[in-house]
Parts: sequence; C-alpha cells; structure tokens
Amino acid sequence: MQRMEESDADALALARAGDSEGFRVLVERHSRAVFRLAYRMTGNEHDAEDVVQEAFLRAYRRLHQYDQRARFSSWLHRIAANCAYDQLRARGRRDEDPWPEGPDATAADFPAADPAPDRLVMSAEVKQRVTVAMSRMSAQEKAAFVLRHFEGMSIAEIGEALDLEASAAKQSVLRAVRKVRQVLAAAMGVAP
Amino acid sequence: MPHPSPDDLVLYLYGEADHPAVLEAHLAGCAACRAAFESMRAALGAVRAEEPPDRGGDYGARVWERLEPRLALSGTGGARWPRRLLFTGALAASLLLAFLLGRHSPRPGVEGTSGPVRERILLVAVGDHLERSQVVLLELLNADPKDPVDVSAERRSAEDLLPANRLYRQAAVRTGEPEVARVLEELERVLVEVANGPSELGPEETLALRRRIESQGVLFKVRVIGSQIRERQKQAAPGPRKVEL
Repeated sequence: MQRMEESDADALALARAGDSEGFRVLVERHSRAVFRLAYRMTGNEHDAEDVVQEAFLRAYRRLHQYDQRARFSSWLHRIAANCAYDQLRARGRRDEDPWPEGPDATAADFPAADPAPDRLVMSAEVKQRVTVAMSRMSAQEKAAFVLRHFEGMSIAEIGEALDLEASAAKQSVLRAVRKVRQVLAAAMGVAP
Repeated sequence: MPHPSPDDLVLYLYGEADHPAVLEAHLAGCAACRAAFESMRAALGAVRAEEPPDRGGDYGARVWERLEPRLALSGTGGARWPRRLLFTGALAASLLLAFLLGRHSPRPGVEGTSGPVRERILLVAVGDHLERSQVVLLELLNADPKDPVDVSAERRSAEDLLPANRLYRQAAVRTGEPEVARVLEELERVLVEVANGPSELGPEETLALRRRIESQGVLFKVRVIGSQIRERQKQAAPGPRKVEL
C-alpha cells in the first residue's frame, strides 16, 4: 500500500502539472475499486459505470483541492461516494422513514435470540430481505449504510463524503440499520 | 447506566459509541442487553456486500478511453491535452450530418458506408454527446449556491457542445427521431443560457438556473435518451469492433 501511495504521489504530481499521462495512471489504477464502491451504492452496473466516469471527472477538476496528507484513494472514494449519492438522489428514492422505531425502546426490551452458526450464513432469503430493506431506504440512508457497513467508513468520513453534518450521517446510518434489522428479524429469528 | 437503546448498541458495534467503556461495562453485567447485542451482531454480521461483477483486466484502460475526451472538455488542468480532442464532438457531428443528408462522404474509408453502419456511428456520437452534456448539467446542479460559483469551465463546455447539439438535433428531425430532437432542443436552451451567461454565478443565479434545469427535468430526459441510445448501440453493434470516425 505504501508503494502504491508513493507511486500515486508521482502520478498526481504529473496530473497536477497538467500531464494527462499522470491522470491516466491514477484512473487505470483505481477504476476497479471505484467501480466496486459505486456498484455497492447504486446496485446496478449501468449506474455504477456512470458514477465511475463522474467520479474521475470531478476528481480531475478538483485536483488542486487535494490535500496530499490524505491518501489519494480515500479522497477519490469520498468523491465517488458523493457521485453515487447524487445518482441515488436523482433516481428519486423515498425520503420518509416508514418504519420508525419507538424512541423509548431499549436493548433489554428485545428478546434474545440464538445466533446459531447456520443462521449466520448469507442465505438467499437474507439477501432478498436485505434488498427489500435497501429499497425502503432513502438515498441518504442507503448511501450512509453502504459506506458504514460495507466500506467501513467512519460516521465523520460519511458526513464529509455526503456533505452532511456528522449528526445527520449518524441518524441516516441508524435509520438504515433499523430497516435492515426489521426485515432480518423474521428470517433469522433474531430481535428486530 | 440505564439499559442502552438499540441505537446505542449499533453505534457500539460500529465502534462509534460516545462512551464505549461505560457501555462495555454495562454489557458485562446485564445478561439481557448482552443477549440483545449478540443478536444484533449476528443479524448485521449476516449482511455482507455482494461482489460486483468482474470488469476484466483492462477495465482501467476502458474507463480511461471513455474519460479522456471528457477531461479535455472539462476545463481544469489538462494543459497538455491534445487540442484535437476538443473538436471531436463538433467534427463528428459535421460528418454525421453530412452522411445523413447524403451530400458527400467525408473520407475515402467511409465511402459507400451502409445504413446500419451509419446508424451505429450516429448512435455512438450522439451517446457520447449526451454523456458530456450530462456532466455539464450535473456540475451545474451540484454547484453550492451558498457562495458565488465559478462556472467558466461549464460555460466553455457548453460553448463546445452547442454546435454539435444543433447538428444532432437537425439530424434527429430529418431521420424521424422526434423524441431525441425534442430532448436535444431542451438541452440546447440550457446550453445556450450557460454559454451566453456569466463565468461566475451568484447564489440567486445559481438557484434560478438549477430550478430551470430541474423543473424541465432536462437531466433526467437526457439520461433516459442516453440510456435508450446505449441500448440501441448494443443492439446495432455487430461485435466488439470499434467504429472509427
């Protein structure tokens, strides 16, 4: 990784000097990772391809804003996440929260469940239910959930990537998780 | 501490709890909360990302191939980008219009080009034009209206796109593609406005422009037409051979 970051720095220096070869190196090196993120967020190849193009275009236009203390890949991923979020919003996902959880609920109110290993397998049913949950998320919730749960971004990073206050990013993650837990509860025999 | 809420447990699970040590101590002493936490961990642990489809080893090169002409138009950096790329869209439009009007064949290699081949060339060129236009529209829609916005790059792109857009619109009318012609006409109005507008927009101007784009659904329509054209490209393509203009 260190080696890649070093060679990213070389390519970046070229790109910032206006040399297309430098940016080509960065595009060829990071395209697959950007596509992976875009696909997870948008859920389809066509949109993900658009996001890849848009992310590199924006990155190119903002090269002068790049802070070299940060890893280029992290910076690029934040831009890609923002593009994917725009794409999700453009598709007009719902923004309301149809399944609010009671504000007074506590963990102790929920029955315990047996996390038997065979239940933890990502079964077809679980996949299907997660898809349902994702379809019920707003664009903001979905983006925040994917970035937190699949990409391992911190809530602060998610806020930065999606242009949200950290508190809004946190609430989006929590609302998304509630939806996932609710649809999984019946399938896995766990508490909602 | 009182029993933590499910949200508290989620944040703890994600390493985002405000006071993890306090919560940990509570879980150690509260069987009900511990069980609830394990249950939640099991449920969320089962939610894994689906592997995206493999793009192939040359994916980066393909992304670059599509991206490079757009970078040349984007207006930032790119000082050493070949100037010829800036003319690609307009040149392609001129050649295509000439094809469609049947006035002449632009170069010996394409003389006698068949109808299906002409259609494929048109689809590729219009598809590329719509993608570039989407970039301009997206940049304008994403501009932060809180501060004055420098739209000089979008302005230059709009200027570059306009001649090609006019030709494609005319070609679409002549070839009996009224839907494409209508969308190109709406796109043209926005491009004209941007190309003739100032290089910097104030917050109100930015919002007004954004509202106009959004109210007419121009970006959406361009996307839809772009998708339809991409589909037709796939259907019209005989194989992986690249069509050269």
